[in-house]
Amino acid sequence: MSKPKIALYWCASCGGCEESVVDLAEDILQVAEAVDIVFWPVALDFKYEDIEKMADGEITATLINGAIRLDNQEHAAKLLRKKSRLIIAHGSCAHLGGVVGLANFYERRDILNRAYKEVPTVKNPQGILPEIKTKESGRELNLSGFHKTVKTLDQVIEVDYYLPGCPPTPELIKNAILAILNDELPPKGSVLAEKKALCNTCSRRESKPDKVRIKEFKRLYEIQWDATRCFLDQGIICFGPATRGGCEERCIKANMPCRGCFGPTDNVRDQGAKFLSALASIIDSKDEKELEKIADSIPDPAGLFYRYSLASSILRGKIGTV
Amino acid sequence: MSSFEPKIIGFLCNWCSYEGADSCGRARKEYPSNFVVIRVMCSGRIDPQFILEAFKDGADGVMILGCHPGDCHYKEGNFNALRRYTLLKKMLKQFGIEEDRVKLDWVSASEGDKFVRVVSEMVEKVRVMGPLMLIQKKQLKNHREHRGNL
Amino acid sequence: MAERIGVFVCECGPNIKEAIDLDTVVTFAQGLKNVVMVKSFNLLCSEAGKKLIEENITKNNLTRVVIAACSPREHEHTFKKVLSNAGLNPYLLQLVNIREQCAWVIKNKTLATEKAKAMIQAAVERVIHHEPLESKDLECQMDALVVGAGIAGISAALTLAQKNRKVYLVEKSPVIGGKVALYEKVFPTLECASCVLDPVLDKVLHNEQIELLTLSEIQEVLGFFGNFIVKVKKNARCVDTKTCIGCGACFEVCPAKVKNEYNEGLDERRAIYIPYAGALPNVAVIDREHCLHFQTEGCNACQNTCPFSSINYEENDEVQELRVGAIVLATGFDVFDPKRAPRYGYGKIDNVYTSLEFERLLNSNGPTGGKILLKNGQPPKKIALIHCVGSRTREYNEYCSGICCMYSLKFAHMVNEQLPDSSISEFYSDFCLPGKESQGFFNNLLDKNGIEFVRVKDLDSIKFSEKKGKILIQYKTINPPSSTLLKGGKRGLQDKNIPETLKSDPFDMVVLSVAIEAAKDAQDLARIFDIPQGKDGFFTEEHTELSPASTIKEGIFIAGCAQGPKDVQSTVTQGQAAAGNILSRLIHGEKLVLEAITATVDEDLCSGCKICIGLCPYKAITYNSPESPHTPLWKRGAEGDFEGDKGGFSDKKENLATINEVLCRGCGICAAACPSGAIKAKHFTDKQIFAEIEGLLNTNYAKTSKMSLRGTG
Repeated sequence: MSKPKIALYWCASCGGCEESVVDLAEDILQVAEAVDIVFWPVALDFKYEDIEKMADGEITATLINGAIRLDNQEHAAKLLRKKSRLIIAHGSCAHLGGVVGLANFYERRDILNRAYKEVPTVKNPQGILPEIKTKESGRELNLSGFHKTVKTLDQVIEVDYYLPGCPPTPELIKNAILAILNDELPPKGSVLAEKKALCNTCSRRESKPDKVRIKEFKRLYEIQWDATRCFLDQGIICFGPATRGGCEERCIKANMPCRGCFGPTDNVRDQGAKFLSALASIIDSKDEKELEKIADSIPDPAGLFYRYSLASSILRGKIGTV
Repeated sequence: MSSFEPKIIGFLCNWCSYEGADSCGRARKEYPSNFVVIRVMCSGRIDPQFILEAFKDGADGVMILGCHPGDCHYKEGNFNALRRYTLLKKMLKQFGIEEDRVKLDWVSASEGDKFVRVVSEMVEKVRVMGPLMLIQKKQLKNHREHRGNL
Repeated sequence: MAERIGVFVCECGPNIKEAIDLDTVVTFAQGLKNVVMVKSFNLLCSEAGKKLIEENITKNNLTRVVIAACSPREHEHTFKKVLSNAGLNPYLLQLVNIREQCAWVIKNKTLATEKAKAMIQAAVERVIHHEPLESKDLECQMDALVVGAGIAGISAALTLAQKNRKVYLVEKSPVIGGKVALYEKVFPTLECASCVLDPVLDKVLHNEQIELLTLSEIQEVLGFFGNFIVKVKKNARCVDTKTCIGCGACFEVCPAKVKNEYNEGLDERRAIYIPYAGALPNVAVIDREHCLHFQTEGCNACQNTCPFSSINYEENDEVQELRVGAIVLATGFDVFDPKRAPRYGYGKIDNVYTSLEFERLLNSNGPTGGKILLKNGQPPKKIALIHCVGSRTREYNEYCSGICCMYSLKFAHMVNEQLPDSSISEFYSDFCLPGKESQGFFNNLLDKNGIEFVRVKDLDSIKFSEKKGKILIQYKTINPPSSTLLKGGKRGLQDKNIPETLKSDPFDMVVLSVAIEAAKDAQDLARIFDIPQGKDGFFTEEHTELSPASTIKEGIFIAGCAQGPKDVQSTVTQGQAAAGNILSRLIHGEKLVLEAITATVDEDLCSGCKICIGLCPYKAITYNSPESPHTPLWKRGAEGDFEGDKGGFSDKKENLATINEVLCRGCGICAAACPSGAIKAKHFTDKQIFAEIEGLLNTNYAKTSKMSLRGTG
C-alpha cells in the first residue's frame, strides 16, 4: 500500500509556520517515513503541474498556511482543495487572518501607496504601482492580483481542520499528522488544540485572585513585574482568558502576555469583541469620565483586540475597505 | 437621492427601558418605526459581539438602553454595560464606525417621554450621517458552517 | 427533525387589527421557514384564544410557538401557561410585542405592518434556538434565624414562631428587649415601656418554638434562601440559666466594680451582674474581662455565695451551626457620639447628657431610680433640650433621625410631670411630627407652663460653655414674621434676610437629641451576610417603597433601625413584615420554585479564568479551587438540597467557575463577560440573540428601507 500523500503550501504568511514544521526536529524523519510529501514549495522541489496532474482527492491532507490576499494564493488554495481529501488551515493567518489580516484596517490603495511610494527606503519618483499586466521590453509581465482584503482560508475554500497558532507548536503539528495517519480525527471543523482557554493550563493561574479588578492598564516596562503573577492581576492586558489553549504558554513562559494567536474558543464568534467585553467588565470604575480615561490608556484597541483575528471577525475589517 | 431611512437596533433591559418603551406604547406616543427592539434581561447581558453583529447585518445604528445608574434591577449590570460601551465606542472608531452610531442611555420604566426623545434623536442623527457602508451581506454569511458552534 | 412552528397573531380587539395590516402579516409569516401554521384571532388572551392556541399546538404537532400580541411583560406568563397545558415546554414560546411596539406607536399602517413583519421573522428565527427549561424546586429549611432581640427582632420572632416552625433568636448581649427596655416611657402614648415590653418578652422566653441564644454572635453565613448554614458563637455566661433565679446574692459579694454600660456608664455594676433591674432573662452573667476569678484567679466569692450553685467558671464558649431557611437582621442602632461635635462640650461640661443617658436618668430602674438629678444631687431648675444633634447636617448625618422630635417632646412631658416648677427649653430649627398622633402630642405641651420652644436660626451655631457651674448656651434665634417662616432653609433658617438675634442663656442641665446611627458592627454584619449598606451605613432594603423589609439577598430580611431610623411602631411593623415575608415564602411541604432563566457554566469550556467571579451581583458564581477558603456547600452535604445532596450545585471539577442556580437570577452579566463563551445565559443565549438580530435585519423591511441607498453608496 502506498503511503498517504501530504502537501504543504504557503500563502500570505511570514514563513514561521514552515519553520514550525522544520521544528519537528527528529520527529520530522518519522513523519517523512510515514508519508509521501508531494508538494512543499519552501523545502522541496515539486512543480505546480505535479499537483495539477493528480487525481481529485489524491492527496490525503494539505496543510496551508498564510492568509489569502493574492489571486495566485486563491488559485492554489482552490486547486489543492480539489486534489486533497483534507485541508488543514495551518497557523493563525490561514485560521484567522493573522497579523497580515490587520491590513483590513487599510484600503488597498493606501497599502500600495505606502509600500511603493511612501516608505523611506523606496525610490519611485514616477510613482509606479504594480499592475496585473505590464509590458516590459516588449514582453508581457503578469503579476498576481492584489485583493481588496485579506481573507482567511475558509473564506476562500472549505477547510476541514484548523491548526492554530503563530506558529502552531511542533507538538500540535505532530499530533495532527498522527491523527490523520491513524484516522483519529475529531468532527470536521474542529480546531486541533485545546478546547479551553489558555488560563486553564497557565502556570500563573494560582496567583490570580478570585476578583480581578483593573484600575489602570499597564505595559510591562512600566511596572516592577512579577514573573509568577497573573498578568491581568498586574494590570497587564493578557489575552489568555479569551484564547484557545494548546500553545504550551510559550509567551507566558517568556514573561510576555498572551496576544491571542490561537484564536477564540468554540462558542465565541468574535474574539476581539469578546475579550473587550471581559476586559471592560473588570475595569474598576463606575464613573463615566474615569472610564473614558482608562479606555484611553489603551492606545490602539482594535489593533490589540484583533491582533490575529481581524479577517475572521464579525466585521472583518474597517468599514468600507472590506 | 431619496430620503434615507436608517435602521436602528435597540437593546433594552427588561426592567426599566423595555417597560419604558411599553409605557410609551400605552400612552400612544409615536416614535420612528426604524427603531426595533431586542429585549434582554439586563443591559449587562449585552455582549459587544451583538453590536458588531447588528452592524454587520445592516443596522445603521445601535442603542443600548438600561436602568439609570443605581436603579439596576440587578444592582450593577448597567455599569457593566457602561464599561463595555466606553471601550467599544473607542474601538469602533477604528473600524470606521462613527461614535454617534452607538449610543448608550438610561431610560427608566416611567420615562416614556425620554424614550421617545432619545430614540427620535438617534434616528435623526443617523439619518443625517447616512447609511453605514458595509460589505455585501452575502459575502459575510457563509464561511462559518464548519467552524465551532457558532 | 425540522421544528414545527406555529405563529399566532392577536388582533387585540381593534388595537392591533386597525393599526397593522394583519392579512399581509399572516401571509408573510406563512412564508417563513419552519412555520407550519399561522392564525390570527380576535383576542388571544381570552379563554377562547387560549383554547385556540392549545388546540392548534396539539393538532399541528407544534414544537415551537410564536405569538405576536402585546408586551411579554403583560402576557408572557399567560401564554407560557397555555403551552404548558398543551404539553409543550413553556420556554419554547417567543412573544412578539406588536402592540406596544408597532400598533400603538406607529401611525402609518404600512410602516407598522413592515415592522411587525420584521419582528415576527426575528421571533421565528429566534424560537428555533429555544431550549426547554425546567424550573427546579428545592426543599427548604422551615426554621428561621432572627438576629437581634430588640423590639424589631422580637416582633419578627413572635410572628414567625408558629407551630412546627422554629426560630433561633440570637442576641449578642445577655438580655433581650434592646433599647426599648432601657426607656421609662414610650411616645406617643406615654405608656410605661416595661408595661408594653415585658409581656412581649415573656412570650419570647416561654415560647417553645423560640430558641434564645444570648451572648451570641454570628460568625459566618453560607448558602442561600431556603438553605442557610449559620455559624453562631455562643459566649459563656458562666451562670446556669436553668437554676439561676436572679436573686442578686452574688452581686453583693463581687469585689470587682465596672461602669455599667446599660446605664450609659452613669453608675457601676459588678463583674457578675444583671444589667438592670427587671432585665430578662433574669439571670446573672459573669463579665470575664473584669471578673477576678478569671483575671487574677482565686476569687470564688460568687460561687461560694450562690444558693443555687449556678456559677460555673468552667463553661466554655461554643460554636453552634444552625440550618435555617431565612434570616431577619434586626440588629438595631447606635447613637451619635456628641464628642465629635466639640461645640456641645459633651464630656467636658457637667450635666450635659445624651438622650439615651437621659432615658436612663428617667428610668425607675436606672442609676437615680428615675429621679432627674444634677451631678450635685439637686434637681435642675432649667433644662434645655437640643434637637438635631448629629442629624440633618452634612457634617455628620444628612438624614433626619425621625424620632428625636418626638422623644424630645416625651422628655418635656416627663420632666414637666416630675419637676413642674422647672423650666424646659426646646431648641429646634424644624419639627418633624408626622402621623396621626404626633401633632397632638406636641399641642398638649403648649398648654403647659414652663415649656418654651426656641427656634434657632442655625443649629450648628449653638455653642456651649461653662459659667459658674451652669451651662451657657449661645445661639442665634429668630423672630421672623410668620410669612418668612415658611422659607425655612435646609437646617434652620439660613436665609440671610431673616432677622436674627444673638442670645445666650444659662441652664442647669442639657439633653442632646443625638442622631440615630447605623450600629457600629453594621459593617461586619453586612460583610458576614453579604448585604449592601447605604451611604449612612444602614442596611439597604431591596426596594425603598415596595420591599422595605427585604434585602437584595433573597431570604435575608431586615427590620427596625438596622434598616434606618424609625420609631417603635414602625419597627414592630417592619419586624412583622419581615416575618410575614418569610411565612408566605417558606411554606411547609411547598418547595421553592427556582428561576428557570439562569446562567450555567459549560465545564468543558470554562478555563477558570475568574473574570466572571466578581461580576455576579448575587455572588452566585464561585471558583472551585482545591484550597477554597470556604468549603463549598455541596461538599458539606446540606440536607434537603435538590440534585441529590449538592445544595444547588452539581459535582464540579476543581478550577472551574460554578454558578449556583438557586442564587442566580438570570441577568446574564457573566455570560456577556465570559471570554471563552463558557457561560450560557439561558433563554437569552448568544445563539438566540444572534438569530434575533439576523431575523430583524434580514427582512424585506430592512432591505427596502436601505437597499436603494446601499446600492448607490
